[in-house]
Amino acid sequence: MRDFIRQFGLLRYMNWATAFATLLLLIVGVMFVYSSCYISEVLPVRTLYKRQVMWALAGILCYIFFAVLDYRVLRRWSWTIYVGCLVLLLAVLLFGTVREGAQRWLTLFGFDIQPSEPMKLALTIMLARRLGLPGVYYGEWRRVGTVLLLLFIPVGMILKQPDLGTSMVFVPLTFIMMYAAGVPWRTLGVIALVALVAVGCVLGAVFLPEKLGFDPELHEKISAMSGLSDYQRSRIMVFFGVADDPLGVGWNKLQSEIAVGSGGMWGKGFRNGTQNILGFLPRKVAPNDFIYSVIAEEMGFMGSLGLFALFGMVFWGGMRAAMAARDKLGRLLCVGVVAMLFCHVFINIGMTVGLMPITGLPLPLLSYGGSFMLVVMSALGMVQSVHIRSRRVVY
Amino acid sequence: MELNSPWDGEQVRLRIVVVMMLAGLLFLGGSLWRVQVLHGSEHTERLDHQSIRRVRLPGLRGSITDRNGTLLASNRPSYCLAIYVEELRQPGRSGETIKEVERVIREIGEIIGLPAQVSRDDIRTHIRRRLPLPFLAWRDLSPESLARWAESCVSFPGVDIHIEPVREYPRGTLAAHVLGCVGRSSLSPEEKESYHFYLPDMRGQFGVERSFDTRLAGLAGGRLIRVDASGFKYNERFEREPRKGEDLRLALDAEIQALAESLLEGWRGSVVLLDARNGDVLAMASAPTYDPSKLRSQYASLSQDKSLPLFNRAIEGQYPPGSTFKPLVAIAALENGGVSASTLYDCPGYFEVGGVRFRCWRRSGHGSIAMRKSLEQSCNAYYCQIGLKCGYDRIYHMADALGFGHHTGIALEQEMPGLLPNDAWKRRVLKDGWRSGDTCNASIGQGAMLATPLQMALFAAALGNGGRVYTPRVVTEPWEEGDLIHEMSWSACTLATVRGGMFDVVEAETGTGRRARIAGVPMGGKTGTAEYGTREARRKYAWMIAFAPFDNPQYGAAIVLEDAMSGGRNAAPRMAKLMAGLFGSKPVFPDPEEAAAAAAAQEGATL
Repeated sequence: MRDFIRQFGLLRYMNWATAFATLLLLIVGVMFVYSSCYISEVLPVRTLYKRQVMWALAGILCYIFFAVLDYRVLRRWSWTIYVGCLVLLLAVLLFGTVREGAQRWLTLFGFDIQPSEPMKLALTIMLARRLGLPGVYYGEWRRVGTVLLLLFIPVGMILKQPDLGTSMVFVPLTFIMMYAAGVPWRTLGVIALVALVAVGCVLGAVFLPEKLGFDPELHEKISAMSGLSDYQRSRIMVFFGVADDPLGVGWNKLQSEIAVGSGGMWGKGFRNGTQNILGFLPRKVAPNDFIYSVIAEEMGFMGSLGLFALFGMVFWGGMRAAMAARDKLGRLLCVGVVAMLFCHVFINIGMTVGLMPITGLPLPLLSYGGSFMLVVMSALGMVQSVHIRSRRVVY
Repeated sequence: MELNSPWDGEQVRLRIVVVMMLAGLLFLGGSLWRVQVLHGSEHTERLDHQSIRRVRLPGLRGSITDRNGTLLASNRPSYCLAIYVEELRQPGRSGETIKEVERVIREIGEIIGLPAQVSRDDIRTHIRRRLPLPFLAWRDLSPESLARWAESCVSFPGVDIHIEPVREYPRGTLAAHVLGCVGRSSLSPEEKESYHFYLPDMRGQFGVERSFDTRLAGLAGGRLIRVDASGFKYNERFEREPRKGEDLRLALDAEIQALAESLLEGWRGSVVLLDARNGDVLAMASAPTYDPSKLRSQYASLSQDKSLPLFNRAIEGQYPPGSTFKPLVAIAALENGGVSASTLYDCPGYFEVGGVRFRCWRRSGHGSIAMRKSLEQSCNAYYCQIGLKCGYDRIYHMADALGFGHHTGIALEQEMPGLLPNDAWKRRVLKDGWRSGDTCNASIGQGAMLATPLQMALFAAALGNGGRVYTPRVVTEPWEEGDLIHEMSWSACTLATVRGGMFDVVEAETGTGRRARIAGVPMGGKTGTAEYGTREARRKYAWMIAFAPFDNPQYGAAIVLEDAMSGGRNAAPRMAKLMAGLFGSKPVFPDPEEAAAAAAAQEGATL
């Protein structure tokens, strides 16, 4: 404990540019959570931005805590954290709250938490630990198998909730970390090929039964085996243009595209996003998964570029820390965190412009939501911890 | 850099990761450029398309006055209680909002003491179809209800008085057939398509309201409303004020019209009075009549009524003209017809042709008479003979030129043409040739011949003004002179003889129309009594046409009464009253009906 307090002084070696960009993103997030909700008739929704401020402050505390904490401690705690998160995921499947057909939330001490969010960080830490073990050659299939097992256990549990979007993040995250850790191209290629073929078969069997000549019964069986719920299937079908349903599942996609598109070059101005005000962009998703639609509509293309610049600074800071890290654990930790954030940003923004299927994936630092805010800020704190303790620092 | 570092390969890999991420961000940026900048306007359009609603606001209908500016049709404000559903909107599904609206209606109903006029379905339909418009819960509130509402209106936000124009006819039944009425009508399909919502519009249904509908209706305005996802009004984007319709000034004179209608009290029939100098319709009465402001509510019973109150007898009623047609035969015979004014024809009380006997109204006969006397006495035998002498063709062409058998062109849609028979018509309809008997019948205005009161009034006006036939005008135009359709080339001599005969009809002591005489203003006229139905039923139409003053005629008039005794007895006294009213004079003879009634009353009193 004394050590921990002593290390506060190290904060002066922090990457201040990254910290500043993170802070700006938090402020932008609070502003647009306000903008997306101020029109609401329901008081708790209208004052949602105040709760977002609370979460942001809590996030900053986490950030500082993990920046000060020596990341090498995580080596010791990685299994505990990973198993702990698995237990929480299991608890969700057993006693979780069901909302809109998905069992994702767990009520602990009066807070609704989504254990799949800390699982993202837990997996990152776990993989950094496993892949960072010195002297291990990852061309061995046994080692690779361990890593894939570590990935598949949580992904399977999250798919069961079901939460396709979150599980989608885990795969590229693992892949990028394996690549950064030095797993040979050939191994990665085989894994990617097998994965693509498997996913392709499932998608084809589930979504194009008529074209492949399946009878309905077999189709039902395959659909059940694929683990995708009906609404996930319809969302994916809308994305691939197999089904067209502008009032049902296609609604969010269409409306978010209209919102983003009508923003134009300079946007309609803060609090003037008509799609959001008029409720075409559903109020339920505007402050969280679709916060970017609100931002793009109100700030336009230029605002979006500004946002990219801020995210770019955060990512670049993380990669700089990875390059300068004094050990493989720190390096992989940074890469993992950046990869996780990047996947969120890419999928979330991609879905609002129709590049990605609609999935319930938040935009880091901007979307409303407590669990993910704390996870992201902790992760960025760890990156700072790696940065502080990189090779140029003597202690 | 660190060439010999064991992390060498990894540094390269990290750089590749950075490059991939940068590429990803660039790709996203490119997509955004495409969606936001290249297709931005497209998305803005789609946004407008789904959130902007066009509302049509009808223009205020123009008013209708008589020639002196007396209001005949106007708009009266009707006070309605309107509920602005937006302001009562409840969060959540529309069912909650409907309940709230129902609650408000129930509470207001208790305060103003009226039962609810709308059902739950009405509310639902309104929310679904006309949400941005005020919802009228009560229409046409009485002053008491309004006062009760005013006391407690503060406690009801979202409810307000809404004023709706209602067509009003301040003079009640006056000129009902000319004015017509209005009804709510739906828009044309293409107009409907260009608006999302529209307020009901008034459309003219009969009479002037219908034929001048486009001038009266004005120009509809519009409003663009931006609505939210559930269709509630968010704000107004644009508004174009509707333009009020044009006011119409009729040729009708309300006072004369009232007088003309009073003449028909208790009768079925019609009175038409024209300005002989330009064809202006000064009065056009048809009895029985109706109240146009109540037409919509009473339509079912009115349209079933045997006495046909909805029927405008002045233009739709086709009657055999009877003896009132004789002046035309006289002119035709005098103009190149081989008959001179002084030629005498014998009347033994009947005329026989082809085995058919045409009776003169005087059984004893008129003896040998000349033209002028024949008009005064309305001798049937005389006209059968001159008709045969000049031939039907001349009569036909003259009647044709005077407008018989045609629409007169008056701007009222229900007008009937009447019927002017000839050989071709008879062959086509009755499959029989034209015979001498038909000529005799036509010469005394009987047989198949039919004319409307308006046509007879035009004929009277033409006799008065020396042969000018005008299009009858219901609406005054800025120009004074009328629309001349035809000018007859009657010789002065012919005209003098026939007009002289018509003078005698009224002004001679033995004239058939002497009861039309008024003090101080001489006039020319002709009575007629046309039989219809079976011979045994002895049902008659009583006619009188007249022009006055005799020397410089201002007016041409026609009166017809159904189921009357004779023109001289029933129509002539009414013509006297009409002319007396016009010239501020009074009839010379007492009305025989009134005298009989007075005598009966006196008898009753003495007994």
